[in-house]
Amino acid sequence: MSPQRFSRPVNSPSKPRRSAWGRFSGSRRTACVAATAVAAMVLAACTTTGEPGAEGGTFTIAIGVDLDTLDPAQQTTTTVQNVIDYALETLTELDKDGKTTPGLATDWEISESGTEVTLHLREGVTFHDGTPFNAEAVKFNLDRIRDPKVKVPIGGAFAVIDSVEAVDELTVRLNLKYPDPALIRNLAITTSAIISPTSATKDGNTYENIVKPVGTGPYVFKSFTKGDKAVFEKYGDYWGQKPFYDTVEFVIIPEGNSREAALRSGEADLIMNPPVTDIEALENDPSIEVLKAPSDRAIFVAFNTSKAPFDNVNVRRALNYAVDKKSIAKNVLFDTVDVMDSPLAKSLDGYCSVDTYDYDPQKAKQLLADAGVANLSVTLGTPSGRYLQDKQAAQAIAANLAEVGVDAQVRTTDWPSYVSAIQEKDGPYDMHLLGWAPGALDAPTQFQMFQKAQWPPNGLATAFYTNESVESLIEIGNRALDEKQRSDLYCQAQQQIWNDAPWLFLWSQTLILAYSSDVQGVSYVPNEKFDTIYARPKS
Amino acid sequence: MTGLLTYLVKRLVASVVTLLGVVFVLVVAVQFLPGDPARVIAGLRATPEQVQRIREEMGLDDSVFVQYWRFLENLAHGNLGVSARTGDSVASEIWARLPYTLELAFFGTLIGAVAGITLGVVAAIHKDKWTDSIVSMIGVMGISTPVYWLGILLIMLFAVTLKVLPASGASTPQSLVLPSVTVGVFSMAIVARMTRSTMIEELGQDYVRTVRAKGAAERLVIYKHALRNAFVPILTVIGLQFGTLLGGAVLTETVFAWPGIGRLLVDSISARDFPMVQGIIFVFAAMFIVVNVVTDLLYTVVDPRVRLYG
Repeated sequence: MSPQRFSRPVNSPSKPRRSAWGRFSGSRRTACVAATAVAAMVLAACTTTGEPGAEGGTFTIAIGVDLDTLDPAQQTTTTVQNVIDYALETLTELDKDGKTTPGLATDWEISESGTEVTLHLREGVTFHDGTPFNAEAVKFNLDRIRDPKVKVPIGGAFAVIDSVEAVDELTVRLNLKYPDPALIRNLAITTSAIISPTSATKDGNTYENIVKPVGTGPYVFKSFTKGDKAVFEKYGDYWGQKPFYDTVEFVIIPEGNSREAALRSGEADLIMNPPVTDIEALENDPSIEVLKAPSDRAIFVAFNTSKAPFDNVNVRRALNYAVDKKSIAKNVLFDTVDVMDSPLAKSLDGYCSVDTYDYDPQKAKQLLADAGVANLSVTLGTPSGRYLQDKQAAQAIAANLAEVGVDAQVRTTDWPSYVSAIQEKDGPYDMHLLGWAPGALDAPTQFQMFQKAQWPPNGLATAFYTNESVESLIEIGNRALDEKQRSDLYCQAQQQIWNDAPWLFLWSQTLILAYSSDVQGVSYVPNEKFDTIYARPKS
Repeated sequence: MTGLLTYLVKRLVASVVTLLGVVFVLVVAVQFLPGDPARVIAGLRATPEQVQRIREEMGLDDSVFVQYWRFLENLAHGNLGVSARTGDSVASEIWARLPYTLELAFFGTLIGAVAGITLGVVAAIHKDKWTDSIVSMIGVMGISTPVYWLGILLIMLFAVTLKVLPASGASTPQSLVLPSVTVGVFSMAIVARMTRSTMIEELGQDYVRTVRAKGAAERLVIYKHALRNAFVPILTVIGLQFGTLLGGAVLTETVFAWPGIGRLLVDSISARDFPMVQGIIFVFAAMFIVVNVVTDLLYTVVDPRVRLYG
């Protein structure tokens, strides 16, 4: 039917022109009223955070990952540990330079044999539930994280402890199976944080699973709503320096752009990891400060050294020369990473600067020709979104490699499939991108990547690399009680590993914090943790 | 009344059979996901013993039929299993997040339906004129605009620049506005297109000419007659939109940090948290079936000619 002009029927009496409102039928009218009401509500309400400068107030931190567990023993993710650190403390702590400092233990002695560690505990400390902090509490916790009944994914570091004795009220002795100089440092990992023994069976907590952590820290854990936020309140009887803010809220915002929006709109005072592409804009904004904190996370491409072509050290070294890491760090990663000059990141205890594989495509081509491999075709595996700009960096690396005649096919898949794939000796990738971060900033954990005992499936040493002299240097170094001797041995190991090039050494990541410039006292620990307990407004 | 009852019972039986099938497909499908769930859940630095322990806890080494039976057994006790990642009960996690998904689905569909029907009717009335073209353009934009981009744009405008709405989260009533609008835009486009085409068809029918000739006001012609008759396909589309949104609007939930089950599902798949994945998809399938039944019953209200039962 052709469209008609719809005019008023001839016979209808003349009616006054209906208002626009009148033309709406019942349900449509209600909808309009509802919409107006919503709009009115919206305009009438403004979201505000606590005013800066007010005594106490709330500090809001936006993080990108949801808290999977509040139990210190079950931790696997650094950011979640970071949140729990507000309420729980460890026996030792790591400072901004990665050095071990006293925590709940004020000092310690290691016996001549190295197998006895005596810890002297801090006096006058109480848990949030009033229980006194003492040697029994420490024994309870250290026994718990070695108890097979409890799930402790990164508890490997504490397996060296044979038994724990409460010698007196404020002294604990650890009897070790063998000397382990790194143990003191490992006691700073949140896994060994001290919870109140009386709280372990109350208020929803069970020995196997803590859902409400009660500790000794400057803040008390108040509540956690999954996918939403965790709330902490100042602890009045804290033994140390009191923090400024009364309340700290950790809000969970997985999307980087949304976190940035929350910071810019004032809903968050501090955020982790804004989108890399916006960092320059944030730095130029006078109302926002950006802190690039060095971290322990080494990013590298591991070669599958168990078979050709990467069983040849010259091929591996050639590829190290072929990639322009400085340029990629600048252009693909917006200067948020630190190019590696050792198999260990700079923040690790035992790091020593070895060398650099400077960008030299000519040398790369020469080495490849000498090794008798021309026109290599390999697969380069990469995760997608797991590490900062991982896929983009892999593509840039492939481009560099193409210039020296190596055809690198970039392949990606989701994280669980990726983790499985890289553990296979005959897996789909000839080389793959990966990251590794020793949370205790210790060399032994980083060296695991170069030891045969940690080849998959026992560990994640996915380069399948081993070198006898490196193995013994690491072994002896790990047990050496004399610091100088230990560093020397570690240095030699790093030198050898660097020359063997089981990896295409890339860079170590930084943790990027953006926060309101009304706030001061924002710091970090170089194991990917922010330290804002003593943040306060600028007066 | 007995007719209705018999009908509902028949639908119920059919639903149960469907759900049994869904569960079976679920249990089989997760077996084929590559990657080791135990390793993923334990984390990269876990010892092999810890990984094995988690594998045993999850019952991953059991056969498909054992796992299927276990799921059904748990279900009979009102239990959907325990999350492999957090140890929390799957049912309680879903229960906690479901209201948020329902809110978003409801308001998103409402906005989409109201705006969509309005636009569709306007376009149909002014067919082939300027207004019609503008509405078509809005429709195409609505369908093609990436949800992510639209969401972030709205946040930048209303939260950052104008500071009248929250940027993310679900803490205040206002935080529902932007996510609903983001989700509603796509619905609006689809409903508008369907409304326009069915309205044009109805307005071209003989009875419309008759009603007009009888002297009815134009408003009556459009709403009481044409729209009412056109409503069945429009209702179908709205029902489908609502059903889909019940599964969670993942992208919107991510951009707005909206704690619904969509994001929970995607995160659980990424983490290979099978019990959670199975629980969520089961609940979603059940809800979708309910929505279908309700939609079918609504047909009889909208169009008395439709007879579902004797």
